[in-house]
Amino acid sequence: MKYEVKNIVKQYGKLQVLDKVSIQFEENKIICILGPSGCGKTTLLNIMVGTLSKDYGEVIGFEKEDISFVFQEDRLIEWKNVKDNVGFVLRDKMDKKVRENVIDKYLRLVNLEEYKYYYPRQLSGGMRQRISILRAFAYPSKILIMDEPFKSLDINSKRTIMEFTLKLKELRGKTCILVTHDIQEALTLGDKIVILTEKPTKVKKVIENIPISDRSKESNTKLKELIENQLII
Amino acid sequence: MRNFILIDKKYSMISKLIIIFIWFLLSKFINNEVMIPTIRNTLINLMDIVKDKSFLIIIRMTLLRGFIGFLISLFLAIVLGILSNTSKFIYNFMVPILSFLKSVPTMAIIILALIWLNNNKVPMFVGFIMVFPILYETVLNGILDIDYKIIDMAKLYKVSKTTLIKDIYIPSVFINLKAVLTSTLGLNFKMVIAGEALAQPKYAIGSNLQLQKLYLNTPGVFAWIIIILLIKNILEYSLGLLIKLLKKAKQWK
Repeated sequence: MKYEVKNIVKQYGKLQVLDKVSIQFEENKIICILGPSGCGKTTLLNIMVGTLSKDYGEVIGFEKEDISFVFQEDRLIEWKNVKDNVGFVLRDKMDKKVRENVIDKYLRLVNLEEYKYYYPRQLSGGMRQRISILRAFAYPSKILIMDEPFKSLDINSKRTIMEFTLKLKELRGKTCILVTHDIQEALTLGDKIVILTEKPTKVKKVIENIPISDRSKESNTKLKELIENQLII
Repeated sequence: MRNFILIDKKYSMISKLIIIFIWFLLSKFINNEVMIPTIRNTLINLMDIVKDKSFLIIIRMTLLRGFIGFLISLFLAIVLGILSNTSKFIYNFMVPILSFLKSVPTMAIIILALIWLNNNKVPMFVGFIMVFPILYETVLNGILDIDYKIIDMAKLYKVSKTTLIKDIYIPSVFINLKAVLTSTLGLNFKMVIAGEALAQPKYAIGSNLQLQKLYLNTPGVFAWIIIILLIKNILEYSLGLLIKLLKKAKQWK
């Protein structure tokens, strides 16, 4: 497996947050890490990208890669327009001409060309998050990490942006890691769902091979029940 | 946004007319040129001052002192403000200096400046001690106000330090500075004139104000005040225009 975490252990003083967490991340799939709020999902992400040290375990494949991020907040720069916000993360990766082509290409792909010169303050919360997702896909990386990106959105925006994410994912393959506590988000987006327990966090169940397109309404309901049971018990 | 806090040109003009009318009434009732000069006499003095061959040199020299002093303040504020954010030593080194500039009476520092510096430098120094602390703290706050989540995002996307400084730090500093630029430029101009009145350099608005006072020529003082107000308005207008042009050039927004 190209990307993997093995037996990750993390303790804050006497509080054990992660207890031998092992997850394999298949290339070009969306892997959802699902767990209750405050169980240490963000801690695990920080260990994966190297911004936090682990006490024990192995992180494989992430160190050498450029990684795209989508955060809970859009983290757009207020004094830059959409084009320059996307261009900001690309600046050191490609020269101006290539950069402009890449930005135009992505804006065209998702029909957002008309917003190219809009400033963040002129956009709605949902639209801002779309730009942040677009920025993540335009960035030349093989991995995309999304840390509860739909948390602050209303139901309608959430649905639109999830569709938007899937569309971009189809157009531009990346290994996506989505951290969430929302079962519906995991079901809608995940090719694989990893369910975590309460602290000290362990992997409770891994649900694999669930191609979204083949999923019927009935199997979706069953899957939802299964996940709910895992999270409750 | 409350509409009434925006300047309405019509009301502003009415207010100006009322002030001129009160001036007219006071000069008529008091009837003493030394206390309140008449509008007519003030205008005659104004014409005399403007016609004088040294008038343009006086204006030029005062403006030059103002600009040089202001640019030194701005430059030092930006450099020291950025350095204070990167070095704990410089930040702490600046604390007592700022506290000194803020708490010691300005007049005491000016008197020391009169002893230490030559007549031409005192006005610039006076402007500096008033304006520098404001600009420095604005730069400092501009950097402190930057959303750490944006910096975090930039680091995760491996954005270089140069891009980070150019695209995040500098615009943040200038966005904050823009808000105080007009007021500090005006304050600096006023302080330079005060410094000139005390230091008496050869060509200076402040020196001329002081001269008119010596001769108890109040219409002359009023005439100079009108000239100062006009210059201040022109300065503010030009600065506003410059900011607008820069905005158009997509630097700040």
